[in-house]
Amino acid sequence: PATGFPPLPTFFVNRKQQPLNSSLKMCLLMQIIVVNEVNFVRKCISTENNQEGLWGKLICTNFKVSFIPQDPSPKQVFTSTLSHLLLGEHDIPLTCLEQVVTVNDTKGKKKVLGSNQKLKFNPTELILYCKDLRIIRFCFDEAGPESAKKVCLAIAHYSHPADLQLLFGFEYQGRRYHESKGIRVNGSPPRGGLQTPMFDRSSDWDREIKRTNASEWRVCSINQSYFVSSSLPEHIVVPASLTDQDLMNYAVSFTDGRIPMWCWNHANGSALVRMASLTDPLQHRKPEQKIFAAITKSHPQRNEPFRSDLDKSLPSILDIQSAFVKLRQICILDPFEESEERWLSTIENSRWLEYVRAFLKHSAEMVYHLDGKNSSVILQEEEDRDLNCVISSLVQLMLDPHYRSLIGFQSLVQKEWVMAGHRFLDRCNHLKKNDKEESPLFLLFLDCVWQMMNQYPAAFEFTETYLTVLSDSMWIPLFSTFLFSSSKQRRQHLMDFAKHKAIPQGEDQVVYFPPVWEWSQQFSTKDQTLFNNPMYVGKGAACVQNGEVKTFKRTKVPKTPEIYQFLGAVLAHFHLYVFFFYFPP
Amino acid sequence: MSLFTSTSTSRSDRSAQAKPPSTMSSDSVSTAEFSPELRVTQDVTYFCPFTGALRGTVTVTNYRLFFKSMDRESTFVLDLPLGVLSRVERIGNNLSRDVSYGLVCKDMRNLRFAHKQMEDTLRKSIFEVLMKFAFPVSSGLQIFAFDYGQAFPENGWKVYDALSEYKRQGIPNESWRITKVNDHYELCDTYPSTLAVPVNIPDEELKRVAAFRAKGRIPVLSWIHPESQATVTRCSQPMVGVNGKRSKEDEKYLQAIMDANAQSHKLFIFDARPSVNAAANKMKGGGYESEDAYQNAELVFLDIHNIHVMRESLRKLKEVVYPNIEDSHWLSNLESTHWLEHIKLILAGALRIADKVESGKTSVVVHCSDGWDRTAQLTSLSMLMLDGYYRTIRGFEVLLEKEWLSFGHRFQLRIGHGDKNHTDADRSPVFIQFIDCVWQLTRQFPAAFEFNEYFLVTILDHLYSCLFGTFLCNSEQQRLKEEIPKKTVSLWSYINSQLEDFTNPLYVNYSNHVLFPVVSLRHLELWVGYYIRWNPRMRPQEPIHQRYKELLAKRAELQKRVDELHREVANRSASSASERPGSPTRSITPVQTFV
Repeated sequence: PATGFPPLPTFFVNRKQQPLNSSLKMCLLMQIIVVNEVNFVRKCISTENNQEGLWGKLICTNFKVSFIPQDPSPKQVFTSTLSHLLLGEHDIPLTCLEQVVTVNDTKGKKKVLGSNQKLKFNPTELILYCKDLRIIRFCFDEAGPESAKKVCLAIAHYSHPADLQLLFGFEYQGRRYHESKGIRVNGSPPRGGLQTPMFDRSSDWDREIKRTNASEWRVCSINQSYFVSSSLPEHIVVPASLTDQDLMNYAVSFTDGRIPMWCWNHANGSALVRMASLTDPLQHRKPEQKIFAAITKSHPQRNEPFRSDLDKSLPSILDIQSAFVKLRQICILDPFEESEERWLSTIENSRWLEYVRAFLKHSAEMVYHLDGKNSSVILQEEEDRDLNCVISSLVQLMLDPHYRSLIGFQSLVQKEWVMAGHRFLDRCNHLKKNDKEESPLFLLFLDCVWQMMNQYPAAFEFTETYLTVLSDSMWIPLFSTFLFSSSKQRRQHLMDFAKHKAIPQGEDQVVYFPPVWEWSQQFSTKDQTLFNNPMYVGKGAACVQNGEVKTFKRTKVPKTPEIYQFLGAVLAHFHLYVFFFYFPP
Repeated sequence: MSLFTSTSTSRSDRSAQAKPPSTMSSDSVSTAEFSPELRVTQDVTYFCPFTGALRGTVTVTNYRLFFKSMDRESTFVLDLPLGVLSRVERIGNNLSRDVSYGLVCKDMRNLRFAHKQMEDTLRKSIFEVLMKFAFPVSSGLQIFAFDYGQAFPENGWKVYDALSEYKRQGIPNESWRITKVNDHYELCDTYPSTLAVPVNIPDEELKRVAAFRAKGRIPVLSWIHPESQATVTRCSQPMVGVNGKRSKEDEKYLQAIMDANAQSHKLFIFDARPSVNAAANKMKGGGYESEDAYQNAELVFLDIHNIHVMRESLRKLKEVVYPNIEDSHWLSNLESTHWLEHIKLILAGALRIADKVESGKTSVVVHCSDGWDRTAQLTSLSMLMLDGYYRTIRGFEVLLEKEWLSFGHRFQLRIGHGDKNHTDADRSPVFIQFIDCVWQLTRQFPAAFEFNEYFLVTILDHLYSCLFGTFLCNSEQQRLKEEIPKKTVSLWSYINSQLEDFTNPLYVNYSNHVLFPVVSLRHLELWVGYYIRWNPRMRPQEPIHQRYKELLAKRAELQKRVDELHREVANRSASSASERPGSPTRSITPVQTFV
């Protein structure tokens, strides 16, 4: 490529030699800046401190840590079946780094590096702890000590961006805008081809209302320009009987103005609603009662809604984080160590599976109210941005086969996580600024889905592979999906960035930041077929067409015993396993 | 054939509407089951551990116990072959008005029934009939398999022929020959009549080797690598004793096994036992090969425990999983049974054997004490990893016939078919463990096996059912003497006559691939589909059988289309062969989890 940057010879050496969808990759290639590199590095393969390993060059760029082996790796038929279009076998995106540790063997020194730090010793070893549970070790026995040190410091520095906009995704998208200006048609971002509804416009919500026959509910746009709440989407669905003015009045009573927001309607007319808690429970009972009355009114039989306070019934985000830390500790141990015999009880002690079960169980109880008792369910959580996301999406997965299709699942994540304002930025701790906010809620959700998938191998259109790459994508900073804590934040950052980069405003989306759902950015069409579950029975049956559900047993779902059987099995502990995903390769 | 579905699906408590299309009524296996004097019906109460007491009628025939209750809104049916009963106990005293008895089953469940004391003393009580037919061996009757007589399109007894199996492996060749020395089971009465041994050891010497090996079970060929000629051979322990006895013939014989493989100048002897147990066997005249006596041989102990430890582990497992499961300590309770740890050690042993043969190109000798329990597990599992043929349905049947049945795994002794007084000390879940290990392999390599989970469950169900002759007796010699193949039906007759039920639609014929499973505990799971299948919480597990069949049909349809297209291309005599469409069986290749 004719750019000013040094060439990166192996960046797109595709082991499988697939045809390169060149424009995208060229584009990415051009944005990558090599910060530092060091030769004669040994990547340790086994955990033992022996001489086994791969020799090559270690490179730190503004996007990732790359290791380029001297000898191309031998062809292995059955290793990874997926080949990533943007990341090579030995690449780690900077966002994926959890901890950067330098070691000097001879001096017996060890230091965890952050940004802008100094290192008083020459490292003999670099250990990278990754968010995807990999631990990667590089040895510098033969490498130049100064350049080794520089690379270590660079990796530490670039993996701790001071500001969100310093994440590579911004750089990439900004450059991309300028590079590709000439070929853009009418300035509209390349949104076509993406079938997943993003729920950033009222038509997506309208379609969902029609699909679920929620005639007593309407789309409301009082949050246009995030006037009412900084974390709700601009369009939400509310009881049809409430006016915009009512809602504006009530909103002040709720944390961050998060008035009850409709999620889904059961075929029997019961609705699933989520909300934040009242800012002052003693003062604001009235608005809450008014809204509850409106929800009751939206129910065909005027049944009282059932309210569930999730903060009281489920583990907190801190509990979840500490269970995950324990689980991670267990899973990254060498599988053939002595501790092996105690594997099951250590897993039990981590409490991770217990929490997985708690979330599945609570969701099942909500399903019982919606489906068995025919009453609407209101999920309440202090901020309505964490536990509610997990429970509301699990309930919908259990009840509505539409969400078990690939597009349906993506729209569910979009609706209940991204647009509902799950704090991805804080929970993923992308900026590594506040460890206390970190908690793997989304991973917990994916685990719950995996457990259901394991028990119902024909019920989901997508596969374990899909869940795994979805989770891995959280740590690739090129997609808007997992980078922001709310749609307002996303909008704000993109506008600021556009201003900064002199990109003209006023367009629909100033800088196009693709969602993770554009899988063609990461995988070839052929590899994407691995997302499809060959056992899936509902293919083509549960999709929305012209606002109508093509029923796939949907009419049968309510009141049939099968649904309870579904739930019964989900709950039994002997059905729960440790997701393979946690085991490092 | 309702019988099969009722005994072999993962459901015991089937409701009546789940009956498959059948030519027979739900309560008959064959005409043999139902002469009037062979059945008794009575009103009883069944104490279901999951749903509580159910009133209904029980029918006991010479083959099964059939309980039906209309108490609840849906009909409840319990249908079990009497062969699964290991014990029937009367509960409570004789004076009480209610008669109550418990049935202890071999397949991980216990059942309890009660009924009123009968006034008509002339009628036989259900208890008597049950005792009589559940334990035919003890009551001087013959096992039901001899009465069954169902005709199937396939004759399962023809599945295995030792000579053709050796021929498939390329035996005889320049290094290995087939010997008839055991034609009349004189050399070893627990071995098959056809044996493959090194070419340069004459039959006379074999006899002297037999004298040095426990029960005369000399090292014989199980499997030979098609390329490297490295072999898997099996035998029993050498009769070393406390004085360290040696046998020149045995040493020469093992040398001959090593020499038959030009690729390696080493021989590995895998002793399945923990070294302590192997040493303890010296007190009883047994022991292990000393590396001094056997030059170029390396001895490895695989630390697999004996049949008593395994029986105890399964007993604990049953306690943990049946009837109720304590959810809060599920994993640590499971851990305390050590069941998965045993599974791991067996798989790890088999993996080491397969690795030595495949990667080390080295021949191996496998033995335990007698060479019919742990040895059978190890040789058959390593052969399953090494040879894709055994991963087909027919190949797996051949593997069982060969490594388990013909080489004398003592099924009668380990299972105690129809014997009321069978001693517990002889029982052991050795074969179940093997099937469990196979299941673990199918989990790790979902596309490498032609059969599905249902196939494995069916085999285990008929291990006990006594409907087929396959698992009767202890050895080939006994089976011939009892004329099992003549007088009974083979399980493979049934299975091979309806293959679509047992076929894995995701199977891709990777026949040349060797499977190296991960044997870490973290990759092993409890086979809930077998051990916990009686739990109603298991039932909602999605029945996948229907989907399997659909996929198989789809696959067949696509294959047909490909064949048509091939023909079309051929007819047009296309000039370039490169235009041939690819096989669709490839295009539906699923994700392969070679971990």
